[in-house]
Amino acid sequence: MQTAANKYPFFAYGLPTMKITDASVCPYPDGDSTLARMALEAAELGFDSIVAIGEGGHRVPGLEVLRGTVISASSQKDVIRQVRGPVARRADVVFVNAGDTSFNRAIVSVKEVHVVRNIHNARRNAFDHVAARSAAEHSVAVDVSMAPIIQYRGTRRQRVLQRYADILSLQRRYGFPLTISSGACSILGQRPVRDVRGLCALFGMTGGEVSEALGSIGRLIEPERPVRVVR
Amino acid sequence: MKPRPPAMRTKRRYILARILPYGMKVDQKQVYLSVIEAATSLWGDAATGLAQPAVVFCDGGYAVVRCRRGTEKDIATALATVTAIGDEQAALRTVATSGTIHALRRRIKPIRLLSETGEMKLGENYFTVYRYPRQKVDLVEKGIKHQMSLFFTEADLEER
Repeated sequence: MQTAANKYPFFAYGLPTMKITDASVCPYPDGDSTLARMALEAAELGFDSIVAIGEGGHRVPGLEVLRGTVISASSQKDVIRQVRGPVARRADVVFVNAGDTSFNRAIVSVKEVHVVRNIHNARRNAFDHVAARSAAEHSVAVDVSMAPIIQYRGTRRQRVLQRYADILSLQRRYGFPLTISSGACSILGQRPVRDVRGLCALFGMTGGEVSEALGSIGRLIEPERPVRVVR
Repeated sequence: MKPRPPAMRTKRRYILARILPYGMKVDQKQVYLSVIEAATSLWGDAATGLAQPAVVFCDGGYAVVRCRRGTEKDIATALATVTAIGDEQAALRTVATSGTIHALRRRIKPIRLLSETGEMKLGENYFTVYRYPRQKVDLVEKGIKHQMSLFFTEADLEER
């Protein structure tokens, strides 16, 4: 008999299917599109889930909406204080805006931090090999936002592509997770998965790496751990 | 002039793209200029010149972009970087790529406006409400120029 377990072997082992996730969108009132509308568009564009900054918990058929929060701080102490606050505790995914080298090295070792974002605005080499190794050890991801590639022109976009290529070379060496986000504040900023692949190819990301990055939010919020006996 | 035999003609590819927001009135030339600007900015003059992008059709919320065979992925990526058409914010979302316009016409699903239900006030501003299938609602600020657009759903409107 043809069952799901026969057809798709991963069902038999209880492994979750990989969800294609847009790692950050900023819905209304920060942007011009509501969360429900952005979720509707994301489902049409081929995403299985989205992370909404500041909001979450909405039910949209066929799409999971996760709640995200962004922490902007200047010191590790400030980050630790904020991640233990009520807003960060309610969030499914905690993002921290990247800063200088010492700040980035420090935040990747904070347990509650899931993703380092805004890496394109940080100085060159702000995310270095030490931070990369630490991020890999603590399973902290680095976010690659499509918004600057789409919106910037000229030298600004060239600089963003250089940063992303640099991050990609570190990722290939140290193996920390990457996430891909549209960073959209409007439905006009959301792009189909196929276009995301094309945009990521601009800085040398392969199709396999893009697929893995799109699915890494699921692994961050539910990391693979050894089986525990619950009594 | 005698046309070239088929084997000697340049091979073309056609990319179908949906224009967002829905109901936007766009001129084919404006779309062409946006595509050329995006492609030139991303790939440079040389690569864009070799790709020979051109907008061959623009109607009903869709545009068909022609390019040389082999460059369709690059042009599709450039289309993803279009952020404005003319003076208005817009996006081009690629739907399909094909060797004939005929095949792409089959992929065009007209986006029809369900009803225009007057106006509503949001904050201090008045908006015209446009309803589309799948409970999508676009609010366009009333005014002459540079009107703000908001993208809601029916459920969002009911909450307000």
